[in-house]
Amino acid sequence: MTPGRRKTILAFAVVALTASAWWQFGPRTPAEWTDPDLIVLHSLSLERLPALPPDPTNTVADNPRAANFGHQLFFDTRLSANRAVSCATCHQPERRFSDGIPKGRGIGLSGRNTRSVVGTAYSPWLYWDGRKDSQWAQALSPLEDPAEHGGNRMQYVRFISTDPEYRAQYEELFGPLPDFSDTSRFPDAAAPLEEPTINTAWLEMTDEDRHSVNRTYANIGKAIAAYERLIMPGPSRFDAYVTALLSDDEKASQAILTDEEILGLQLFIDEARCTECHNGPLFTNNEFHNTGILSFPGELPDRGRIDGLKKVLADPFNCLGEFSDDPDKNCAELTYVRSGVELIGATRTPSLRNLGGTAPYSHKGQNETLADLLDLYNRAPLAMIGHSEAEVELGLSRRELKQLEAFLNALDAPLATSEEWLRAP
Amino acid sequence: MLNRTVTIAVMLFALLNAPMAQEDDVNESWLTRSGYYRVSYLSRLDPLTINRIHDWVIHIESADGAPVDGAIVSVTGGMPKHNHGLPTDPRMTQSLGNGDYVLEGMRFHMNGYWELTVTVDAGGRRDTVIIPLTI
Repeated sequence: MTPGRRKTILAFAVVALTASAWWQFGPRTPAEWTDPDLIVLHSLSLERLPALPPDPTNTVADNPRAANFGHQLFFDTRLSANRAVSCATCHQPERRFSDGIPKGRGIGLSGRNTRSVVGTAYSPWLYWDGRKDSQWAQALSPLEDPAEHGGNRMQYVRFISTDPEYRAQYEELFGPLPDFSDTSRFPDAAAPLEEPTINTAWLEMTDEDRHSVNRTYANIGKAIAAYERLIMPGPSRFDAYVTALLSDDEKASQAILTDEEILGLQLFIDEARCTECHNGPLFTNNEFHNTGILSFPGELPDRGRIDGLKKVLADPFNCLGEFSDDPDKNCAELTYVRSGVELIGATRTPSLRNLGGTAPYSHKGQNETLADLLDLYNRAPLAMIGHSEAEVELGLSRRELKQLEAFLNALDAPLATSEEWLRAP
Repeated sequence: MLNRTVTIAVMLFALLNAPMAQEDDVNESWLTRSGYYRVSYLSRLDPLTINRIHDWVIHIESADGAPVDGAIVSVTGGMPKHNHGLPTDPRMTQSLGNGDYVLEGMRFHMNGYWELTVTVDAGGRRDTVIIPLTI
């Protein structure tokens, strides 16, 4: 090789290395926020979270004694078929009330990923498919799911009525318990479930007896919901950043988020189109969207909301049902609920606060990491069933995806709920 | 710096105290396609924000400005850019007289450009108008 040629190669190498070093480590001051940007940022900050709306369907929703009772029930493994599963088995406070595995594991393997309880008091719908319309109605469902707590409502109401401590707390809140001691009227196990013996026992009960069991069972859910209403997200670094920005404290704002996180935030509200669904202070519109998430390996695609809608309309514990405490049955969400093909394969937008503690992601935990999920949205595959609302490729670079991920992690924060509620009573 | 603070304060004031929808002007009205009716609306959620279910009052006038009573009013809507509809199925529940109708169950779940299709059917005359709305 001639010296001239060697020099040229060297020069190329230096230029290439410098360029790559600049790209990797060089100063990249995040662009200035425009005023409309600031309005969007403010709309996402926890400061803008409205006061928790009342739940007229649950008269004890904001009763501290009910929350205390619900707290005990939430952590009590005796509320299960094998006395080993409680709500906290899957909704683990140290994991932001999720469980860190693809699908919930109680007595068996649940059908979907465990959703966090945090901030759900704000949602008109519960579950990925919105098959429940209140926290109290939701709380009743896992108790009877054969893969989760695996019990039946007759067993639970008898347990509450025979445990002296629970009986006293229940009666203080809801009045005298019915007398469930006559086993010819109230068998050991009875509920409207698929299991034939339990279902037959339920059908053989009188309407009146079934009603009193249902009423007591609903009240158990209402106490659990009073506890769950206290589980709220706390302010994250993102929120502190917005506060600093809006008070025009540039120095403070630069110290709160890294440049990478700020660039990620810019993508989040703009090019990556995340705020179309992940909007408002909880980073969710709590609506149902088909975003082309692939099915769980080896499974048919999840039909999502299209089936959840039928279930919530038929649910005896819904807002319009006889166990709702709202005398006016003011149930706008349920009354004006929509149907249609858009709901095929649609699942409810999850909050993006505290993602760090809640991997894996998506309705079946199909995406192990945030990077996997972001990569999927970037490629925007066609929906396996129904029509994806997110089928336009985002065209983000790997570096930009990293920035988005960095920003999402800046939404992690300790919960706003005091410590004593975050451990077993 | 002061300027910027003032600008932000003004923007936030505007955000908190004024309707967010740019077209949400009580004086604005839209003539239906065949020219039979003039339609306007008032959101009972003010400012109009996303993710909250609420009611509207739809006002119907004839082309020459007389209030139209006894009409059947229906509303559908969606975001053309996103190829999806409203997240709810709002319905007319009450006629208030003087051409006013209560529409319950309105909710928007995304910021951006929406189109609402209002259909008015009165005395056998059916007509439609698309109302643009940016939230």
